[in-house]
Amino acid sequence: MVQNRSLIDESGKRSDGRIIDELREVKINVGIIRNADGSALIEFGKNKIIAAVYGPREVHPKHMALSDRCVIRCRYHMSPFSTDTRKSPAPSRRETEISKVIREALEPAVMLEDYPRAAIDIFIEVLQADGGSRCAGITAASVALADAGINMRDMVSACAAGKVDDKIVIDINDTEDKEGGADMPVAYMPNLKKITLLQLDGELNPSEFNTCLEEGIRGCLKVYEIQRSSLMEKYFGNEKGLKE
Amino acid sequence: MQEVKRKYVIPGDIVAEGNFKPLGNVFRNGNSIVATRIGITESNKDGTKVIPLSGIYFPRVNDIVIGKILDHSSLSWSVDINSCFSAHLPAQDIFGRDFSPAHDDMGSQLSSGDVIVARIAIFDRTRDPILTIQDKDLGKIPTGELLKISATRVPRLIGKRGSMIQTIEQATSTRVTIGQNGIIVVSGKDKEGTNLALNAIHIVEVEAHTSNLTQRIKQLLNVPESDVENDDTQNNHEINETPMNDDKVISNDIGKEMGMMNSDGTK
Repeated sequence: MVQNRSLIDESGKRSDGRIIDELREVKINVGIIRNADGSALIEFGKNKIIAAVYGPREVHPKHMALSDRCVIRCRYHMSPFSTDTRKSPAPSRRETEISKVIREALEPAVMLEDYPRAAIDIFIEVLQADGGSRCAGITAASVALADAGINMRDMVSACAAGKVDDKIVIDINDTEDKEGGADMPVAYMPNLKKITLLQLDGELNPSEFNTCLEEGIRGCLKVYEIQRSSLMEKYFGNEKGLKE
Repeated sequence: MQEVKRKYVIPGDIVAEGNFKPLGNVFRNGNSIVATRIGITESNKDGTKVIPLSGIYFPRVNDIVIGKILDHSSLSWSVDINSCFSAHLPAQDIFGRDFSPAHDDMGSQLSSGDVIVARIAIFDRTRDPILTIQDKDLGKIPTGELLKISATRVPRLIGKRGSMIQTIEQATSTRVTIGQNGIIVVSGKDKEGTNLALNAIHIVEVEAHTSNLTQRIKQLLNVPESDVENDDTQNNHEINETPMNDDKVISNDIGKEMGMMNSDGTK
């Protein structure tokens, strides 16, 4: 990748004014879709993404059902108005791939064997995209799954890290993704300390890779705190913390 | 066994550490008991569990459910029980063992759209639930307002020893039939009472996990404090006392509610 301009200035600020280990502002609203069993709206910087979870419910067509566990069906979709130029609403190669990796990032957290012969449908709709939408989508979908009351081993939090101007930074935005050196989305189960998604676009040497992964996980832990507080607020309001 | 504090949890949170028996909505990870749902932890000498605050209904044998007849084949009715499985009510359950599809008209007994109270007779992971209506107080529900609440709110709606539902029934002169699958039928003499009961049930659903709920419902229904037996408003943390996930208690309460519905008004 060729870098045309400096993405980090002399004072260490990035193109959107953040420092290298700073997340964009993240807000999560839980339970925004009445018809869904669980839902969440995430605003991850300029990203605006809705995740809705339905189920466990009956599988149609029936032959898709598995006798010992449930199936997760995931659809990641970008709205035609989510980007600068109109995006065709038909599912693209990229969306099909992201749907698959999101499903595989969430599957280790969901206790599939608790719901044999059933299906869980996850819909992730990107209303406004600004880089890192798969991570924001996973984060929102995980909150929506918890909101739907589906048995989970842990939450899944996701955040990207990457290389910009030879520096490792967290939470890559759209400009840094397109013009930067590397982009590494990481999804992580913070309590079980397990990685469920690791992708890398770009080039990193082994030491950069390790730093990048560590920074990605650190970003996930920050995202987890926001997931946690949004769920706590929805379900327990101001009555936070321990109850004797 | 050491005492565990009651706390609010989300999936992945550690509920307890040590030698506790995982009872419900928790799993063991090494030395820790970890929550799998959003809810409130509860532990006693038998073990530790999480009382969930959200989730769909998952059938269990002997649950009393309210279902809607969808269709019938030549041997059974299929019933929507608000779950990820559609249930079956065998024709033999109504016509007896000598049922014959050639002689007996299934449509004469139950047709699509009818609502029934039934018990889950058989269910396991491999097959859809089989229902029966051959117990006392089970069968077709002729009239009433049908509404759906989250199945996790059903124990709260019944209340401690049936206190909540008794309050609502007495104050609104209605009969409320509760299925453990979260489907409820309210039948009353006048529209006003029915609407009041529906409103109260809605409030219980929305505010199920909050304290002093019975008191607020009483205020809504204009019930004087002394009128209702089994008053549990003294307890500031009612939910602590409510056996939300205790199957036995729920079944007993539901049985009582069914009794109330079909008897001559005696409790």
